[in-house]
Amino acid sequence: MLRIENLCKKLGSFELTDINLNIEKDEYFIVLGPTGTGKTVLLELIAGMYQPDKGSVWFGDAKISDLYPEQRSIGFVYQDYALFPHLTVKENIFFGIKCRGIDVNEGNKRFREIVDFLNIEYLLDRFPSTLSGGEQQRTAIARALVTSPRILLLDEPLSALDPRTKQIFQEELRRIHDNLKTTTLHITHDFSEAMALGSQVGVLHNGEIMQVGKPMEVFRHPNSHFVAEFVGAENIIEGHGRGKTIEVSNNINIETIMDKTGPSTLTIRPEDIIISREKLFSSAQNNIPGKIINMIHQGPLYRITVDADIALTALVTMQAVEEMGLQKDMPVWVAFKSAAVHVL
Amino acid sequence: MEKSEVRGQNILFTAVISISIAFLTGFIILAISMVLLKGLPNMIPSILSREIQFAIKLSFLTSVISTLLCIAIAVPVSYGMSRLEFFGKRFVSTVLDIPIALPPIVSGVALLLLFGTTEFGHALAARGIQFIFTPLGIILAQFFVNVPYMIKVLGSTMNDIDPRMEFVARTLGCSRLQAFFKITLPLARSGLMAGIVITWARALGEFGAALMLAGATRLKTETLPVSLFLNMSCGDLKLALAAASLLIIISVLSLFLFEIMGGKQYELSRSSLY
Repeated sequence: MLRIENLCKKLGSFELTDINLNIEKDEYFIVLGPTGTGKTVLLELIAGMYQPDKGSVWFGDAKISDLYPEQRSIGFVYQDYALFPHLTVKENIFFGIKCRGIDVNEGNKRFREIVDFLNIEYLLDRFPSTLSGGEQQRTAIARALVTSPRILLLDEPLSALDPRTKQIFQEELRRIHDNLKTTTLHITHDFSEAMALGSQVGVLHNGEIMQVGKPMEVFRHPNSHFVAEFVGAENIIEGHGRGKTIEVSNNINIETIMDKTGPSTLTIRPEDIIISREKLFSSAQNNIPGKIINMIHQGPLYRITVDADIALTALVTMQAVEEMGLQKDMPVWVAFKSAAVHVL
Repeated sequence: MEKSEVRGQNILFTAVISISIAFLTGFIILAISMVLLKGLPNMIPSILSREIQFAIKLSFLTSVISTLLCIAIAVPVSYGMSRLEFFGKRFVSTVLDIPIALPPIVSGVALLLLFGTTEFGHALAARGIQFIFTPLGIILAQFFVNVPYMIKVLGSTMNDIDPRMEFVARTLGCSRLQAFFKITLPLARSGLMAGIVITWARALGEFGAALMLAGATRLKTETLPVSLFLNMSCGDLKLALAAASLLIIISVLSLFLFEIMGGKQYELSRSSLY
């Protein structure tokens, strides 16, 4: 539905290079990237705050990048919500209805629906400066959705909220999308939001889209060192491929299920690594001896780093740590399946 | 340093500051109260005199019109200077500030030459738009001298308004013009009010430029400051000080209004008040 073709824009220190994205109708698309990579600029280009230096934006067969923002039918919610401070919540929400010249009865009906849906009746007569972050967000979303935009753009919608509120509003965003089905483009630097909400995710780095796919796919199969690191994959190891074996140090070869020849990068997710006191005779094709060099307590888990010529990090439950009596400097074995090794 | 020496230095420091503040405050109050003491007792009869009544009416009329003109031109200019990027912007910005730097009497001469000696001025005069030695000239002089102040106050307000507000309004279906009137202008309200107060108060007191362009003719171009000047010149202290007292009262009230408006605009424009 929304198609971005070869979009380029240089703006101050931000530069977007040759962005291509395709967002299907009803999709919840997440653009993921570190802070300062021009994610907001991308949204502003789509909505028409700036003209692209090159490339175009399309809604189906209609090129919208030549249109004024008011002609594009795009809902925009900024990170800080940008509510109109001189208008009440009610006036903020009615703003688009009046501007778009929507018929009074229809306008009132839509207003009522969105207010009931988001449970913001009690806020209507208040001014934005008196609202909490979550209340401002619901108001901003109501203001955008009441005009029935073709796509809703959300600029880091959860990052201004405290962790508890964030959890609640993540659910709220899911509920909104499940019910209203508005095609949504949400940008964030937090991969967990992508996992929780996104039907598709695109990873943006240095102004380029590095990878697009379902969140789980990107998580399991990052296509580059950057994506792997960014989505939280640890155990990124450089080596030399010889068929289904990758030599990562003089003594260590890692078995994989993919043929690869020449310099390679591989990742293994910490939860896929098993730690044991003795060598395991199991289906795991990779067994490497080493020594525990670090143990960090993380909630119900331990993050344990083992020096096995290469440093490998594993997630182990507290119960397992106690049962095995794992301690720092203890010699252990690490084991993982060849299928758990992801070659980039 | 000795303990007592430190103490002595600190006391001296505090004393110098306190004395400076007390001196200046007292000095201003003293100077103003001299006028008020002599002017106030004669205020009522003076205000009833035909001459002062004329001056009050002319001052109000010209200052209100010139303030409206300042609003009409300063709103688009300050918006443009705050939002648009164009070649030579710094140059334009400096030019817009020139009337602030000029002594008003020089501005007056400049206007006099422009409207009195050029074809442009003659052409206007031939069509009945006569600035020289007329109340119209007073309005023009007030406008020329004061519009940069209005632009400064409004410009700082516009700079404080997030351009994304207008952008969001446009994504909701407003044109640029609608977004300006529905969002930016209402948000600039406090700056606009502060600008109006400062511009109007300055217009009321405008003397030098108006004197050059419109002259000082009794009962013709006689504003309150001109009345003060004329009556001082011919020794009618009663009328002169009544006019002066009126101006003081209006100025102090304006300053007070300005304080109420509060905010950043106020800080900025107070520093450029006179």
